[in-house]
Amino acid sequence: MEENEFFGEKTFQHYCAEFIKHSQKIGDGWEWRASKDCSDGYMCKTHFQVKNGTAVSHQGTSDHVQTFLPVEEALDPPLDDLEVNETTTAAEVIKYEYHVLYSCSYQVPVLYFRASFLDGRPLALKDIWEGVHECYKMRLLQGPWDTITQQEHPILGQPFFVLHPCKTSEFMTPVLKNSQKINRNVNYITSWLSMVGPAVGLNLPLSYATAASQDEGNVDGQDSSIERKSLEEH
Amino acid sequence: MAEEQESALQLPPSTAPEAEVPTEVSPETATPEPPSSAAVSPGTEEPVGDTKKKIDILLKAVGDTPIMKTKKWAVERTRTIQGLFDFIKKFLKLVASEQLFIYVNQSFAPSPDQEVGTLYECFGSDGKLVLHYCKSQAWG
Repeated sequence: MEENEFFGEKTFQHYCAEFIKHSQKIGDGWEWRASKDCSDGYMCKTHFQVKNGTAVSHQGTSDHVQTFLPVEEALDPPLDDLEVNETTTAAEVIKYEYHVLYSCSYQVPVLYFRASFLDGRPLALKDIWEGVHECYKMRLLQGPWDTITQQEHPILGQPFFVLHPCKTSEFMTPVLKNSQKINRNVNYITSWLSMVGPAVGLNLPLSYATAASQDEGNVDGQDSSIERKSLEEH
Repeated sequence: MAEEQESALQLPPSTAPEAEVPTEVSPETATPEPPSSAAVSPGTEEPVGDTKKKIDILLKAVGDTPIMKTKKWAVERTRTIQGLFDFIKKFLKLVASEQLFIYVNQSFAPSPDQEVGTLYECFGSDGKLVLHYCKSQAWG
């Protein structure tokens, strides 16, 4: 095991901050919550989804009849702003919460999540399975209890489902190594979340993919031309 | 990994963008011809030059993942990542316990419902979309 794929909490917070910057640009709804003593914190997002019904008539653009709202449109609106088509009485709105925390023991990020109906009734794990994308179902169904466990949220102290982090460094390593070969800075959080998110119904908009490489900054060209100029003048 | 040579089965020689040395069989795995699958087409039923319908995808293996003998494919724009998963898994004969990841920009996994046409618009260059793929035991 090499050290590259592990990082400390500070690095975790840095990547989260960069991730959230982009989220804010595109209105994707992620925010940072610090713990009471501000020594640590986590990233979180809430989104609403209609189960077993037609699409929520939200700005009239969603044509998804399946269970997911496109993430780009699933902003985090206050409930009274959410335009639910009143005629879809068979539909129920489910509130999904996703939290990204740092695991000190595994030294990787961990995805915590939970879902509940609007009246507060929590969804059971088997209900959450229905939202898992087909391509992950096969593998996850083989041993769901190996991969998703219920644990107490380290900061909130409430029960959440957790995507077990024991394999995270293993599947992140090839990706990171590959990127390092071409000297590209990868936002670990972006990359990791893009991979694990869909398994629990969380999809990242494509723009995150290009945001990560933009963070490297383009200072070189400008600075050197300025330097050249000043040299010439003298 | 020396995996740069590929056979462009579905491209008529005259339109092949890179005039490369013919197929170098990858030493690690000799994968058989793909099962006929609706997901991607190695066939010649329509010229790839008609970029409205199909796009070129170049598949590159990451880590210890087996390298596909044929890396270049012409794929309908509306095909999803999910469709590519199914195709590659069959081609590489992955078992259910193995998870496959597909990346753009070498580091970002698009959601399974994403269409390759959109990915091509955003991340394609030199007339093709490069996708990296990696198998792993992501869970458990």
